[in-house]
Amino acid sequence: MYRIRFHGRGGQGMITASRILGSAFFLEGYEVQDAPRYGAERRGAPIFAYVRADDQPIYERGVIAQPDLVVVADDSLIPVPAAGVLAGVDDHTVLLINSDESIETWKQRLNLCCKVFTLPAQAEERAELRFMGATCTGAAARLLGAVSRDNLARAIRDELAEMADAIVEKNLAMALDAYDRMQQYAGSVTTKTQTGAGDYRKPAWIDLPFEDARISAPDIHASANSTEVRTGLWRTLRPVIDYERCNQCWWVCSTFCPDGAIKVIERTPEIDYDHCKGCMVCVVQCPPHAIEAVPEQTAQLQDAEQGASS
Amino acid sequence: MTRSLLTGNGAAAWGARLALSDYVPAFPITPQTEIIEKISRWTERGEMDARMVTMESEHSMITAAASAAASGIRVFSATSSQGLLYGMEMLYTVSGWRAPFVLVNVSRGLASPITLEPDHNDIMAARDCGFLQIHCATCQEVLDSTLMAYRLAEDQSIRLPVIVNMDGFYLSFTREPVEIPQAEKAADFVGEYDPQNIRFRASSPVSQAVAVLGGAPYSYFRYESHIAAQNGIAVYDQLRVEFAETFGRDYPAIESYCCEDADIVIVMLGSFATKAQVAVDQLRKTGVKVGLLRPRLLRPFPAALFRELLSGKSGVAVVDQNISMGLGGVLHTELAGALYGQADAPRQLLSFIGGLGGRDITLEEFFEIVSVTQNAVAQQKTPPPRLLYTEQEMREMRKLQAAASVERNELNNSGAETNG
Amino acid sequence: MAEQSVSIYRSMKDLPSTHLLGTGTPMCAGCGGLEALNQLYDIIGEKSVFVNAAGCMTLLSVYPFTPFRGSWLYTAMASAPAGAQGVRDALDILIQKKRMNPDDDMQVVVLTGDGSAYGMGLSATSAAMERELNFLYICYDNEGYGNTGQQFSAATPHGAKTATSTGSAGYPGYKKDLFAIWAAHKPAYVATIVGAEPVDLARKIEKAMSMKGPRMLIALSPCPTGWDFDPKETVAIGKLAVKTGVWPLKEYVDGQVQHTKVPRERRPVEDYLELQGRYRHLFEPEKNVRLISEIQKRVDDYWSNVED
Repeated sequence: MYRIRFHGRGGQGMITASRILGSAFFLEGYEVQDAPRYGAERRGAPIFAYVRADDQPIYERGVIAQPDLVVVADDSLIPVPAAGVLAGVDDHTVLLINSDESIETWKQRLNLCCKVFTLPAQAEERAELRFMGATCTGAAARLLGAVSRDNLARAIRDELAEMADAIVEKNLAMALDAYDRMQQYAGSVTTKTQTGAGDYRKPAWIDLPFEDARISAPDIHASANSTEVRTGLWRTLRPVIDYERCNQCWWVCSTFCPDGAIKVIERTPEIDYDHCKGCMVCVVQCPPHAIEAVPEQTAQLQDAEQGASS
Repeated sequence: MTRSLLTGNGAAAWGARLALSDYVPAFPITPQTEIIEKISRWTERGEMDARMVTMESEHSMITAAASAAASGIRVFSATSSQGLLYGMEMLYTVSGWRAPFVLVNVSRGLASPITLEPDHNDIMAARDCGFLQIHCATCQEVLDSTLMAYRLAEDQSIRLPVIVNMDGFYLSFTREPVEIPQAEKAADFVGEYDPQNIRFRASSPVSQAVAVLGGAPYSYFRYESHIAAQNGIAVYDQLRVEFAETFGRDYPAIESYCCEDADIVIVMLGSFATKAQVAVDQLRKTGVKVGLLRPRLLRPFPAALFRELLSGKSGVAVVDQNISMGLGGVLHTELAGALYGQADAPRQLLSFIGGLGGRDITLEEFFEIVSVTQNAVAQQKTPPPRLLYTEQEMREMRKLQAAASVERNELNNSGAETNG
Repeated sequence: MAEQSVSIYRSMKDLPSTHLLGTGTPMCAGCGGLEALNQLYDIIGEKSVFVNAAGCMTLLSVYPFTPFRGSWLYTAMASAPAGAQGVRDALDILIQKKRMNPDDDMQVVVLTGDGSAYGMGLSATSAAMERELNFLYICYDNEGYGNTGQQFSAATPHGAKTATSTGSAGYPGYKKDLFAIWAAHKPAYVATIVGAEPVDLARKIEKAMSMKGPRMLIALSPCPTGWDFDPKETVAIGKLAVKTGVWPLKEYVDGQVQHTKVPRERRPVEDYLELQGRYRHLFEPEKNVRLISEIQKRVDDYWSNVED
């Protein structure tokens, strides 16, 4: 059985991507199960989806603990613990990362022995987040080696049937291009038999103790501790204030920020990047257009360079 | 045979469409919404000849559904969790109207704490209300059961509403290959709705659902509903054969997997049971004689069939994805009731509670459940009910509690050390 | 503006002398709600299905007896309008799909007490209006949870003694303006009625029956048991409610509120209050002039706005 996990952010088309792969497998004659997992989080928050494909009916359900292939649509998710990108990844797992950085960089950074592939994207693709999913699916399909080009194309047309023709064509082009680019790695993904009943690891069950309702009721005895949640990790675009152009109006960006992530100190606004989700409301509302939208990745590289040079 | 990839929600919507439902009162709730979105798209485009009306609550939704059924049309509706409970007064009320319709429930854990993920406490809360219940483990089963549910509901010897239950996320949002029956074949199977003598017509006045004074007439009406519900067993068995002959898929009231020669049997409801099936396959490879029973029909409760299937087994592990506060697993106690006093009943009946609020049950845990049951059989001693909850999960909980500023002193003094 | 057609009910003589609603119901002797129901049922007729919410009138149909010549469905306290939705939609679907003779169609009528109408059922009622459900809604308003022994409800008037407001000041709250709440939804028709003014009642039901969409009526229902008066006074108290201006008879059509019976020489509210045991504490052991004048002032204020 193939077990594939997709990681991305809400709004990046991950669910559609997983469904395209599921459909493609299905067209190849496989038994298929695909499902998204998302909670209460919204656009920009980490989400994942999974696909199982087998020549037998599938009875396994739920989260894939030991994936054969992990597809990461957004490499900024890898360091986010809550995203769980690397959960259950072992030597046999193939990691496909949508990233401009080199395979070697990722292997070193993550200290991984497994196969890693990257999908360096064109600038226009980066700007068009909605096509990210299609690109990933195309590459994943080829790495699996189980899906033909024709069935990939058919799956895309089926899954995007309700979309405008131009969008379907664009997705198709991106997916097939990624499929072709991975030609020499076709079939890199291998399957793995799950733990047998002979030598399983006993679950460390415990007897849940009685605890006073002062502890065991779902109450938070704190105020505004949600600031510990780093929603800044949702961001793919970063608003950057050009203080030369800021006219110190002192309220527009701060008042309209839905997250309350801009504070103004002595008429100078400061963005709290730990919590800015990258909605770009401030960029649009700033009267002197003093806030610029910079791709998060570019901004991070600049930060790193500055850090190195200082 | 042509199959399509459908989610459980999609399969439920197809069931409603193929059963030629006339009317769909609706109210959105996660994880059920895709059902009503799909139906609304079909009705808007004229692909489904039904009227959908969005009500302001599930209480009203169930009232409207039953009122329409009581007026003589075929009705479908769907809800989940808090919605099912919000409509609870009406579940009990309308089953007594003896107006048949089908309600899909997408199981989701109940507040508090509120959650979006699945378990069976919602549907268990509705077990005494008079609706029959069919529990599904695959998306195909959701579609097929919806068709069967109309036959069951509308049968002259039953005439009660039916709930078709599926797990949120694990079925509702999960796509699987599903054969969508041909429209004509499905329509033939379900048949035309014959409302018998429940309908509102100017020419034949009727007062429905009236009050009674006194316990004796009350007992009569209530017990008649109970007998009708029990008739569901025999009707279901006939229906099942007809369904299998028509569509080639057989759904016994209790699905039995590798049970014939089994010593140990796992009993559980819903889609998590297919995980147990994988565990059974693996255990069989190592020579463990283990099987799985999955009741599809929970109301009426197939007690006689359980007794028959479990006769002569040495140990039974019931995995309840629900919890009755102050008692434990509901299916466990129901099964104990069915087996009590039977000469050849399994000597060991163990209770496990797992999968609450969508908590996964791993393959290893199923292996361990079987191992614990084997030990109980060997030692002739039944261990106390076991919550599937690990040391690691407790540690994670402690981190959450720390973030929630639960008093350290309280934590330290609570004797919360794990005992492995 | 709706066509102002001529009513067939010009005087008492025009009202039906034989009645459609069956006798033999378990309602209290002298029930003002039943009086109104009898009158309006004559006009609505037996081609109707009454969808009932929990309240005193739950007990109209107790197995095996029903007073309805037409049909009835008992639902629950909160959801009678939703029941009406289901029945109305089903009848429409049956006619549309040609599975029912259109002659078999019926007027769908919700019947609820004030407990449901002013409180628990308000959300379902609001939603039925917002969906423009084609139905009649009749609230028999006896200003308290009568079926359970007259505890105060959102319809209880200021100062009235109820089983849960027994102090010397009576009920501290004020009667909710349900007419205005309903009218804010802009339904086809809203009206107040009382059984003691049968011609006004008949005309309003007649008008409501000539319309489609949500048609909402509140019938003040003098309640001998809950208001503590001699049953023979039901009509007198109903008339006094109108003559003192406590119960304005009015209707809402096309965004306009019209008063259908303006008491030119309003009698003092005292005349209405003193007949009822629920206000006895305003007169004994000594007269509570402050509270009585407060009640009078609220009535005066209401009418001063009308007369302006």
